[in-house]
Amino acid sequence: MDYILQGFKEAISLIIRLDPEVFEIVFMSLLVSTSATILASSFLIPIGVYLGIKKFKGKRMVSRIIYTSMSIPTVIVGLVVAIILSRRGPLGYLDLMYTPKAMVIAQTLLLIPLVLGLTYSLAKSRGSNISNVSFTLGGSKFDSVVLIIKELRVDILVNVATAFSRAISEVGAVMIVGGNIKGHTRVITTSISMMNSMGDYPMAIALGIILLIISFFINSFIYSYGQED
Amino acid sequence: MRLDIENIKKTYGDKIVLDISNMTIKEGKITGITGPNGSGKSTLLNIISYIDDNFSGKVKYNGMDFSKEVAKNITYVFQKPYLLRRSVYDNIVYPLKLRKVDNKSQTKYANDIMKRLEIEDLSNKRGQQLSGGESQKVALARALVFKPKLLLLDEPTSNIDSESVKIMEREIVNFNKETSGTVLIVTHNLEQAQRICDEVISLDSGKVRN
Repeated sequence: MDYILQGFKEAISLIIRLDPEVFEIVFMSLLVSTSATILASSFLIPIGVYLGIKKFKGKRMVSRIIYTSMSIPTVIVGLVVAIILSRRGPLGYLDLMYTPKAMVIAQTLLLIPLVLGLTYSLAKSRGSNISNVSFTLGGSKFDSVVLIIKELRVDILVNVATAFSRAISEVGAVMIVGGNIKGHTRVITTSISMMNSMGDYPMAIALGIILLIISFFINSFIYSYGQED
Repeated sequence: MRLDIENIKKTYGDKIVLDISNMTIKEGKITGITGPNGSGKSTLLNIISYIDDNFSGKVKYNGMDFSKEVAKNITYVFQKPYLLRRSVYDNIVYPLKLRKVDNKSQTKYANDIMKRLEIEDLSNKRGQQLSGGESQKVALARALVFKPKLLLLDEPTSNIDSESVKIMEREIVNFNKETSGTVLIVTHNLEQAQRICDEVISLDSGKVRN
């Protein structure tokens, strides 16, 4: 038991001392996951809303495909991106493998079905009333999509936070395409995994605590925003 | 706006919910649609407004097919209106913003319609804070503010107090007289239909009752 307590003590000390290695890892995690969340959300939220309110043939099949792809394993996404970006792959000439950009690409692809599915489901269940208001007051389809995003902004923000949480807590895709290179592509989750196998618990616990603090702040922000609205 | 309805048929599976071979709604008149529950009244409004475009037959608007331009001149007040998550004033100016009306005119038109419907004191309240009757009046104000050529109303005064009913009926009639806008109102209340309508059409099981 002592080593656990000792691990916590050292972890707190690393955080208080603002240990450069810890904060470099945290910064890289935030950079990669935030970029992926922004990229996936900015394109997929309007598309999800549009598909949710649009009536078209085969909508049931589209729903099934979207919902199924929401649970795609992270390692599968990592593997696909690695195959495409590897030296022998179709985009190998871009030399992106084992870079933060590759990690952003992998996490964006991972988040696309999640953001699309959550927004699609939200618009499908609650968007028709809003769309009808816009349409019967002279709005175009574009006006309807904009109005739905504004009206359901709190729920959409919760979806974005859910996507960010999935990105920052996933380990499979970033490990495969990033390679966990110290000072370059090392992020919180890949570090915790590595530190655990090395028996370096203080560092792993410190990063775990920071990950929990980040999640706490994101959820607190969303809760407060929802209450104010 | 004159409406010509030709051979409209709407089905859900095997069930025919609306079957009208011929119907004309005269321009500049207030026409009431009455009938029991499930007679197809709301379905008819949904089809005319094109919220529901999955039907067979034709609706002609001043002799024209439905288009973006036609849509801009039609509005619909639902039985349970959805008010946007913003102030009453912002709800009312929303259709004016869609039509790119300048800010000064937006304020003028919105204040005028709020005064007419006696809801000026609600101006800064949020849509979600209003009672059922207040919501109905705001929804009517939002529909009238841009002076549509065709106003569709689905039981706009159901479950509201008699004073509010009077105010709403007065403004529906005023709108019709001042702008010659066509009004199509679904109502269960036959007395209301007699009070404000120029003509009444009765539906039963999706068909026009003679």
